[in-house]
Amino acid sequence: MASRELSRSVRRAFTFLGTRTRPQCERISQSRCISTTAARHAEVTEDVQEPFSAAPPIEFKDEDGGSGKDGKGGKGGKGGKNILRTLRVVPASPSYFSAKPTFTDDFLSLSALLRKVATLPTIPNAEAPKVAWKTIDQYRIMTNEPVKTQRYHKMLHILRRLNCIHPSLMPAEVLQTMLRYKKANQPGDVKPKPGVIDELGRSKGVGRRKTSSAVAWLVEGEGEALINGKSLSQFFGRLHHRESAVWALKATQRLDKYNVFALVQGGGLTGQAEALTLAVAKALLVHEPALKPALRRAGCVTRDPRKVERKKPGHVKARKMPTWVKR
Amino acid sequence: MPPSICLRNFSRLSIDAAAHSSSASRLLHPRAAFFSTSSTRYATVAAKRKGSVLPPKKGVKSLNTKKSKKAAADAGKRPAQGERKAQRKRIVLSNNNALEVSSLKDLGKENVLSEQNEGKVMGIPGDTVDALRDVEAFKTTQGWSLFRRPAVLMRKEAVQLARLFKEVEDSAAGQQKRTIRRILSGDRKSGKSTLLLQGLTMGFLREWFVINLPEAQDIVSAHTEYAPLPDSQPTQYTQDEYTANLLQQIQKANGAFLLETKLSTTPNLPIPLPETATLKELVALGQANPEASWPVFVALWNELSQPGRPPILLAVDGLSHAMRNSEYLSADVKPVHAHDLTLIRHFIDHLSGAKKLPNGGLVLGSTSQSNSPKAAALDYSIEVAEARQKSPDDIPQWNPYKSVDARVMESLKDLHTDNKNFDVIKVGGLTKEEARAIMEYYAESGLLRHTVNDGFVTEKWSLAGMGNIGELERTSVRLRI
Repeated sequence: MASRELSRSVRRAFTFLGTRTRPQCERISQSRCISTTAARHAEVTEDVQEPFSAAPPIEFKDEDGGSGKDGKGGKGGKGGKNILRTLRVVPASPSYFSAKPTFTDDFLSLSALLRKVATLPTIPNAEAPKVAWKTIDQYRIMTNEPVKTQRYHKMLHILRRLNCIHPSLMPAEVLQTMLRYKKANQPGDVKPKPGVIDELGRSKGVGRRKTSSAVAWLVEGEGEALINGKSLSQFFGRLHHRESAVWALKATQRLDKYNVFALVQGGGLTGQAEALTLAVAKALLVHEPALKPALRRAGCVTRDPRKVERKKPGHVKARKMPTWVKR
Repeated sequence: MPPSICLRNFSRLSIDAAAHSSSASRLLHPRAAFFSTSSTRYATVAAKRKGSVLPPKKGVKSLNTKKSKKAAADAGKRPAQGERKAQRKRIVLSNNNALEVSSLKDLGKENVLSEQNEGKVMGIPGDTVDALRDVEAFKTTQGWSLFRRPAVLMRKEAVQLARLFKEVEDSAAGQQKRTIRRILSGDRKSGKSTLLLQGLTMGFLREWFVINLPEAQDIVSAHTEYAPLPDSQPTQYTQDEYTANLLQQIQKANGAFLLETKLSTTPNLPIPLPETATLKELVALGQANPEASWPVFVALWNELSQPGRPPILLAVDGLSHAMRNSEYLSADVKPVHAHDLTLIRHFIDHLSGAKKLPNGGLVLGSTSQSNSPKAAALDYSIEVAEARQKSPDDIPQWNPYKSVDARVMESLKDLHTDNKNFDVIKVGGLTKEEARAIMEYYAESGLLRHTVNDGFVTEKWSLAGMGNIGELERTSVRLRI
């Protein structure tokens, strides 16, 4: 150990001699080392500093000149006090000394903005454009401050009020400010491609329900329906299922205007029939987009997301517990 | 208390046991172990308080989960023997609660083959209904019991059938008498059996000689006795009871013709028959003596083959039962092919064209979708015939990995060729006009309470799988909400 220490000192002396000419900042080299591997210097990385502007130099002369009228005698003590007063560094934001300065700043700036635009006409909240605001967790991560939920909700209240300004009169400033509090992805950002009627006059729709999925093509016709190459009555024994399959057409009185042919797979008969409802409705919307409200009223637009609940360990089924036995 | 064994010894010692019988027996057979010598009968049994339920014993499961503790109460009188089956097989052809349809016209001898009837609902006259009932043309699954009286829709397939009747009748005048053979095929509930019934109606109304095998399954299902036909190579089997019953049906349905026609040949029968007997007596002989029923049937057929006799309508329902092995076993415990049963063979010979009807006629076989065993050769032949009608370039091929029933394929080989006499009638869906006609008939009968307009007809037509008539009836009449 002693010999190794000696050799290291010798090498250091050599390197010191070799690099003597170049001015270099002092590096604290390892003096004590437990590791047995050869010592290596840390890589010199070029740290990019943020642009930094120093405070302007304090003009003592000016201060003196400004207070020179007092006379020469007592200028020593008085001038020093003035300087001290001037030297007090005031932070840029008054909320610097609060626990959550960024949040407080945000809140105050939003309140000020609302005060400024409060007189603009508004629209009801239901008609305002849909916005996904950042969640409290996302906001906390952005500001790195322990913002309380209630406070954040108060801020969201202001934001919603700002969002209710009439869109034609919405100031650019408000839009710019709101951007900070919106999620990266807004609802309605992803727009599905509009369906097309192909050269043969078909429109396609896809629907799913439970574990079934269906593809339906709709052409103008006189009410024929083929499902997996079979007629409606061959494919569905129950009348209820047949009605579900073409419900979109029946509810809008279009049953005699279109022919349906569909492929359906997976699941049971009920799932297949209701998957077809959705598929036919979507295909119908390609032909007649104006039917959307009517179809929504008929319950053909929304996908039913219910699926079989998984079985849990310790349960007989998803929720059923084994029978209680006394001993 | 003295031990009872001492008392027993004591009573044995007594000279006159009878004298002490009353007291001794009581003492001898103590009913309970008492502490006192006084009689137990004075002890009052604590009367069970009414309405009080004892607390459940410890360790005994007290929860009574049974729904009804009482045994099922007397369910009333049980149906007599055979009554249930009679109920099941009962054919009801009228419903007094249904309204009379004033616009309903009857079919008659003149208008039954008319093409003007297409798309109209026509009533069946009463005596034809009786004849149809005699030949068991009505099925329990059909909805005759819903309406005031039987009526049929003259759909386009029925008119097609009427055209065939006309062709046969036209040829009857000339030398070349035609035998036309048709197989009715189609989806489930598409009206094949009803179309067969319409054919029988036409036969009865046009005074043809009608022989109907109501259900091929009854012949091959081994529910009637059978016996080998003597001097037949390979062995054929007669079914005497069934044939006798068939003769009875023939006699009831074609009674008028049989009564007025006299024997023109001398039949070779095991039972003597006078020379001048009518055909009715011949048939009655077969009915009375089931062992002679098959020779009688052959003799009747010979009589019908004589010149100057009416054309014949041969019909069978449930054809696929006749196109496979029957349930009967031969003497060496091999299954008997249905074509080895004399009645089926008789029908198949005429269906395949091996034999011709000398006075012309029609052979109709109807398939079934709800009660049809696998008969691959029949299915394939029907497919081929349908493909020939629809798209002659695209004929399906026989799957070489399936075992082929050569006899069936041989009998149906005319379906694979361009033979005009043997073909398939595809019974499809109704057109919308026909659907409208039948729905108006439903409405007029009071079974459909809805205005029959275009939208309604189209809706029901679509939901019934593009006009499947059985489904149409089901959706608009039977499943009324």
